[in-house]
Amino acid sequence: MSVKEKLKKILVEELNLEDVTPAEIADDTPLFGEGLGLDSLDAVELVVLVQKHFGVEIKDMDEGRPALQSIATLAAFIEERIKT
Amino acid sequence: MSAPEEQGQTPAAGGGWTSRSIGSDLQHRIFYLLIRLGGRRAAYLLLYAVVLYYTLCRPTLRRRSYFYLQRRFPGRSGAGRLIDSYRLNLMLGKVLVDRAVVGILGPAAMEVRLHGREELLALLAEGQGLILLNAHAGCWQVAMSALGFLPTPVNMLMQREDGDLDRHYFEHAGLASPYRIIDPRGFLGGTLEMMAVLKKGEVLCVMGDRLLGSDRSAVSVDFLGGEVQFPFSALKLASTTGAPVGVLLSWKSGPNSYELALAGTIRVPPGLGRRPEHFAPSARAFARILEDYCQRHPYQFFNFFDMWAKP
Repeated sequence: MSVKEKLKKILVEELNLEDVTPAEIADDTPLFGEGLGLDSLDAVELVVLVQKHFGVEIKDMDEGRPALQSIATLAAFIEERIKT
Repeated sequence: MSAPEEQGQTPAAGGGWTSRSIGSDLQHRIFYLLIRLGGRRAAYLLLYAVVLYYTLCRPTLRRRSYFYLQRRFPGRSGAGRLIDSYRLNLMLGKVLVDRAVVGILGPAAMEVRLHGREELLALLAEGQGLILLNAHAGCWQVAMSALGFLPTPVNMLMQREDGDLDRHYFEHAGLASPYRIIDPRGFLGGTLEMMAVLKKGEVLCVMGDRLLGSDRSAVSVDFLGGEVQFPFSALKLASTTGAPVGVLLSWKSGPNSYELALAGTIRVPPGLGRRPEHFAPSARAFARILEDYCQRHPYQFFNFFDMWAKP
């Protein structure tokens, strides 16, 4: 399973996204606001989930802001950290 | 001076209040000049008249004080309610003057006694960061000046309106802010910044009695006999990071003195998820502490909007 697919599964299952399946989430759908509709508290949960499932820490806003735009940006951030 | 007039009554976005002052820049400068020339007492003399004018001649302002007062003193009406309104508005004015006094004349002009110093240090020594839950009560700005003994940086979640004429005490003195300000209107309500400072073991101060910025994460709790919405973002952060929550409240205890006390500690269980009801016990604990504060210091609770309005 790719990082993107795993992320989508985590989002749906652990953030309890309703009316959407992992397969229906496009890679470039914004995570917050109009996209998946996540909010600031989901961001806190997401940061914890990324650390729990991938061992990758989002340390601050400088890292978090570009990473937490969409599934694609978050997956790219995780893949880059896993490599290094 | 920031006064209830502008502290939002429409339960609109962000909790329906604004920090903008009702006074003009000139009016602020008159108070600052009086403080420089005659100290706190001179500014208080003018304040008594100004507050009397606002309380008697600005029904909108008066009504805004009634939301809280009718909960705190449910049996009062007529002249009694009017006097309560004057006392509440006057105390807010004094707090604002005192804040300016500390900035203009220096911290020595105001004595701040802290209760719970060792307990605060012990909470911080746990290494999970420390969330200090405050409220719009007493003078948190003066109280913050007493936190300099903490060995880590202090961060404050604080929303400030464009055009706000009020100055913080350190701004009067031309000093750098003693605490780092996190703007709740920032990216994701500042939650990532707040998480980051807690991970570094720092102190995070959050107002627990109003929703700020785009925060919509509120939990219903009973407060002074009615249901209010208290934000639970800080409690969520505590659950996620393991940071203990200390409720830190201040009150004006004399003409030149304030007291600051660790009024309680709240341990939020880990892994609570994000459903509001999971945070209700912790929010209720905060509400009980705040109710106790209102009993002890009835004219030092400064929320001039209808906290009890249905969301």
